[in-house]
Amino acid sequence: MKKFALAVLAVLGAGVVMAQIPSVKVENSRGKSIKTSTLVDGETPMILSFWAVSCSNCILELNAISEKYPDWLEEADFRVVAVSVDDAKNSAKARALAEGNGWGDFTLLYDKNQDFQRAMNAPVLPHVFVVDKTGKIVYSHTAYQAGGEDELFNVIKSLK
Amino acid sequence: MVLSLACCSALCGQGNKGYVTGSLESNSIGYVNDNRIPVTVPEGGIGSNNYLKVDYYRGALSAGLQAEAYAPALVGFPTNLHGAKLANFYVDWRSRSLGLTAGTFYDQFGSGLLFRSYEDRALGYNTAVLGGRLTYSLGGIVDVKVLGGLPRLPMTAERAAADRHVVYNEWSKTLIGGADVSLSLSNLLGWESATVAVEGSVLGRRGAVEPKAVAAGVDVSQLNVGYSGRLNVESGGFVARAEWVDAGRNYFATSIAPNGYFVKNSNAQLVDLGYSGGGLGVNLSVRRLEWMESLIDYTDVVRGDENITNNYLNYVPALCAQYSYTLTNINPYIPECYYINDYYGLYSSGEIGGQLDVYYHFRRGTLLGGKRGMKMNFNLSTYYNLKEEGSALPDNRLWLNVNVGMEKFFTRKFKLKALYAMQQRNINHGMNDVSATAHIFVADMLYKYTPKLSTRLELQYLYSQDDMNGYDWMAALFEINWAPRWSLYAGDTFNHGAERVHYYNFGVSYTASRTRIALGYGRNRAGLVCSGGVCRTMPAYTGGNLTITSSF
Repeated sequence: MKKFALAVLAVLGAGVVMAQIPSVKVENSRGKSIKTSTLVDGETPMILSFWAVSCSNCILELNAISEKYPDWLEEADFRVVAVSVDDAKNSAKARALAEGNGWGDFTLLYDKNQDFQRAMNAPVLPHVFVVDKTGKIVYSHTAYQAGGEDELFNVIKSLK
Repeated sequence: MVLSLACCSALCGQGNKGYVTGSLESNSIGYVNDNRIPVTVPEGGIGSNNYLKVDYYRGALSAGLQAEAYAPALVGFPTNLHGAKLANFYVDWRSRSLGLTAGTFYDQFGSGLLFRSYEDRALGYNTAVLGGRLTYSLGGIVDVKVLGGLPRLPMTAERAAADRHVVYNEWSKTLIGGADVSLSLSNLLGWESATVAVEGSVLGRRGAVEPKAVAAGVDVSQLNVGYSGRLNVESGGFVARAEWVDAGRNYFATSIAPNGYFVKNSNAQLVDLGYSGGGLGVNLSVRRLEWMESLIDYTDVVRGDENITNNYLNYVPALCAQYSYTLTNINPYIPECYYINDYYGLYSSGEIGGQLDVYYHFRRGTLLGGKRGMKMNFNLSTYYNLKEEGSALPDNRLWLNVNVGMEKFFTRKFKLKALYAMQQRNINHGMNDVSATAHIFVADMLYKYTPKLSTRLELQYLYSQDDMNGYDWMAALFEINWAPRWSLYAGDTFNHGAERVHYYNFGVSYTASRTRIALGYGRNRAGLVCSGGVCRTMPAYTGGNLTITSSF
C-alpha cells in the first residue's frame, strides 16, 4: 500500500504528465557526442540531476547522493546521471570538480548550450528527475534542502 | 501503480499521441523608497518578468513556443524588453542522422567565441536565431551543421517606431549564416582508447546600414566572415582542447579614430588542458583575446544605448574562480575583450591570461580524509592586457585571484565549508599598474538535526586597505531548511569600512515537486549581477520580491 501511495505521489509529482526523456545530443565524459535517448537501457531506473559549477545547492545534493549511493545500491539497482549545464565559462572546470568530489560512480554528461536542460523544461537549478527503466519521467523536484535526497531514493524503491 | 499509470495515460495523451511539457517562471518585485541609499523606484512601483514555455513531442517531431511578458521589465534589465509577446516558436524534426529546425533555435560553434545564441533570463539575454537549421551525422564520423537567420534583438522604441513596416519588431535586421563541421578521427580510424576530433566553423554576418558610418567611410552593414578551428583530444582521463578564432573585421566607435571608428580584426586563442582520475581533477585554461567583440546590431541607435546589453553574437565569459558567496562577488572579473578610453585617448587591444583549477578528494580512511573524507579546491587566475596590438606579450596585470577551499563532514551531523580568497584588480583597466586588493574569508556551516531538519550559517569577512569598494565588509546568512519543502532565510551584508549601510534580506520558499514559490524582502546594493561570466550592472533597490517557477 505504501508503495502504491508513493507511486501515485510520484506520478502526481511529475505534474501528471508522463513525459519521456527527449533525445538531445550531449557530450559524455570521454568528449563524445551521445544522444540522451541512449540513457534508457530498459533495465534500471535513474536519478537524473541537472547541475552547474555556480549552483552550490546542486553540488550539495550530488554530494549527498554520492555519500549514500553505495548503501542505496544494496537495496535497489539504479544509476545516477549528473548533467552539467555549464557553458564555456565552466564546462572544463565542471569535469575537474566532478572528479574532485568523488562522483566517479555517476554517469557524467555535459550539456554545454543547455539543449537537454531546455528540452526537459528544467529552467531553475537544482532540478532532479527520477526516470524509470523505460524512459518515463516518474518524479521530479526543484530546489534542494539537506535530506531531500531521501525522497528520491523512496521513489526509486517504489519502482521495483 | 498500473491504475495510476493508465489513468495518467488517458489524461495526458501518452503513447503515440505524444506529450506536452513546459515551464513557467515569474519574477516580480515591488519597489519602495529607502532614505538610507539612493534607490531606483520605477513608475508604478512594480516590475515583473514572466516566461511561459511549452513543448510538444511526438516521435521524431517536436514543436514549441515561448511567451514572455514584461509588466514592465525589472529595474536594471535591458530596456528593450517590454510588453507581452510570443517570443520564440519552432518546429523540429530529427531522424537518426538528419535533423531539421524551422523557427527559433539556440546554437553555438565550439565554445561560443565565434558564435553563440542562448538565453540567460538572469541577464535578460535571448539571442535565439529566427530561421532554419540542418544537421547531418554520417555514421558518427562526420557531423555537419548549417544554419541561418536573424538573431533576436528586441529593438529600442525609437527604432521600432522607424521600422513600422516590420510587422514583428523582435528580430534584428542582421542576417547571419554559418556552418560547423566536426570530424571524429578516432571513430574514423576505430581507436578505442582515445577520442580525437577536428572541427571547424564559418560564420557570416550582414547587418543593418548605419548612415553615419557610411558617411565616415565605414560600412558596418557589409558582409563580415569569421572562422574557427578546433582540436579536441581525450585519452585515459587526460583532455586537451584548442580553439583558434578569427571573428573577422568588427567596428568600435571611438573619438580616437579620425573618422570615428576603429575597424579591427577580432581574434582569440583558447587552450584547455585537464586531467581527472583517482579523486584528482585538474584544469588549466589559457586564453588570449584581441578586439573580441561581435555585435548583432552596429547601428548607433542600438549600440549607443547603454541599456541594450543583449546585443552580442558571440560569448566571451570570464575564465576565473566561480564563487557563490556575496563578498567574493563584490568585485567580479570581467574579461577585457578590448578597452577604449576616449577621454584620455588610450586603448588596449585585449588581454592574455588563464586559470588553474585543482579539485581533490581525500578519501575516507586516509590521514587528511579521516573518517568521512575531505574535499579541497584551489583556483589561480590571472590576466594581463596586451603589450601591443597583434602580440601575445603581457603588459600590466588586470586581475589576480588565488583561493583555497575545503569541505568536510566533521561529524555525521556537522559539515564545514571554509574558503580563503585573495583578489587583486587593476582599477584603471591596465592603463597603469595600480591595483586594489581584497582578502575574503568564508565559513559555511551546515548542521543536521534530523534527516529532514537542518540549518546553515554562512559567515563572511572581506578585508581591504583599498577604497575600491569601501574597505571592509562583513556578511552573515542564516537558513532553516525543512526538506524537501520549506526554507527560511535571513541575512545581512554590512559595509563597516565606509558607508555603514546594512543590506538586509529575509524570505521564505516553499517547494512542492516541480513548483517553487519564494517570497523575500530586502535592500540590495548596486553592483554587477553576473551569470555565466557575463555581467550586468544592477541599480540599488529596496523592496519585496515574489518568484514562482513551475514545470509540467
